[in-house]
Amino acid sequence: MKPPPVLSDVTIEELAKNPYPTFDRIRSMASAVWVDSARIHLVTRFDDIMTVERNHHLFASTNPGSLMNKVMGHSLMRKDDEPHKLERAAVEPSFRPGVVKQHWAPRFRSIANDLINQFEADGETDLFSSFAAPMASLSLIDLLGFEDVAWEDIAWWSQALMDGVGNYQADPEISNRARRASAAIDQAIDHVLARHVETENPSILSSMAHAGHKHSREQIRANIKVIVGGGLNEPRDAILTTVLGLLQNPEQLAQAQANEKLFARAFEESVRWISPIGMYPRRVTQDTVLGDTRLKAEDQLGICVGAANRDTGHFEQPDSFDLNRTASRHLGFGAGPHFCAGTWVARQMVGEIAVPILFNRLTNLRLQAGNSPILRGWVFRGPIALPVRWDR
Amino acid sequence: MIRFVFVQPDGSEVPVSATEGDSIMKVAVDNGVDGIRADCNGSAACATCHAFFAQELLCELTPMHEHENDLLDFAATDRQPGSRLSCQVIVSRCLEGQKVKLPDTQ
Ligand code: HEM
Repeated sequence: MKPPPVLSDVTIEELAKNPYPTFDRIRSMASAVWVDSARIHLVTRFDDIMTVERNHHLFASTNPGSLMNKVMGHSLMRKDDEPHKLERAAVEPSFRPGVVKQHWAPRFRSIANDLINQFEADGETDLFSSFAAPMASLSLIDLLGFEDVAWEDIAWWSQALMDGVGNYQADPEISNRARRASAAIDQAIDHVLARHVETENPSILSSMAHAGHKHSREQIRANIKVIVGGGLNEPRDAILTTVLGLLQNPEQLAQAQANEKLFARAFEESVRWISPIGMYPRRVTQDTVLGDTRLKAEDQLGICVGAANRDTGHFEQPDSFDLNRTASRHLGFGAGPHFCAGTWVARQMVGEIAVPILFNRLTNLRLQAGNSPILRGWVFRGPIALPVRWDR
Repeated sequence: MIRFVFVQPDGSEVPVSATEGDSIMKVAVDNGVDGIRADCNGSAACATCHAFFAQELLCELTPMHEHENDLLDFAATDRQPGSRLSCQVIVSRCLEGQKVKLPDTQ
């Protein structure tokens, strides 16, 4: 049993460009590896992550020093046990797969069609800005129960909060933006809360207002912020990655076009292949052992599901996109008590609606030759541009 | 300890001894029983610990909440009258000697 080895020759920029070679390296070194530039112990093996997620008393989400608490308030994502359970149960009615299918799917469908109407005649576009970002943003506005909010606004609030959460160097500009976003979200909540208290409906704000466990205003604000921060970029990025995977693998696209159910499989595979959340944190609560590595109380762990999802112990040829995989269990939605609350929303929005509608309406959709998609990020990862063309 | 049997889709049986108060899902995972994925480890969020119970047993098991009822409609193997998410069913005396069947896929 050894203490975590140290990796000191990897920069954050290298990780952001392409984290997978470093993930492979770390996976072959030890169960947990201290990465100097990231200032955290990274955990990259599938089985170790399952161990972590099955022992939340040893590996907690509660983290008193977390920047997230400072930026958003103390949300359910940084709680454990009963306090977490109560707040999680409060939002669940909005996220149930049946509610998603009956109530949210028609909304998502009309958002997708309206967006495509706006650029269909152009013959080319960057799907990031014209489709994926507004699709995810407009859907989230509805889900939350916001009114009179522009999609560009919720998109910058989301980005400002995420930047604030990652602001370890305490850049005052970034802190300032995050504070302004936070204040704007408080206002957006105050604007509609009375209506949601009065009339019960499937939105997240209504679910919180009518929860069996009475929420304080602070709890509502913190949990809405965590969803603004964490419910926008992932479906946006998953839309783009699913489209990219299919466009780069025409035989799989043909398969999906012949059998539309396979778009859902393509979505699931894209979340494995390029996990939108590549890493999330946990805190070690007492001296312990993980796999082959000794850990100390208060060690901070970065749980790299983006790496586990390419663990050769679980996936054959993990670097390729393959919707026909038989072993399809992945960790892209996390595992354990904090397993993504928005899983069924994302499945419906991306795999059943946004991606199939796009391929149905844009004939011969293809990548632009000589204008390659650009992917970026390791904590969050996805295409930051996806220029495409189709037949007019 | 309560003794009962998991039955795999191919008919093979895995006998287990379980502690009252644990969930059926936890018993399966702790005993390395194939066929229960339990992606969310018991938060009733993923519908990958689907199992079939004898119908006459259902009234004696932990009651089903609306959330579980909704999720079961979306399990990978079609729901049947004896369907439950095994993370929501607690081991109790009524399971002694019973068979818990597992679906083809989770
Ligand atoms: C493809 C899309 C998505 C992916 C890959 C994804 C991934 C994840 C992951 C990995 C976690 C676990 C984080 C942790 O344990 O610290 C998580 C949690 C969460 N996600 Fe998602 N997510 C997606 C979409 C969404 C959407 C659309 C929403 C809401 C509208 C959402 C809401 C949440 C919430 C509220 C949590 C916290 C759950 C808790 O702490 O109990 N997610 N997500």
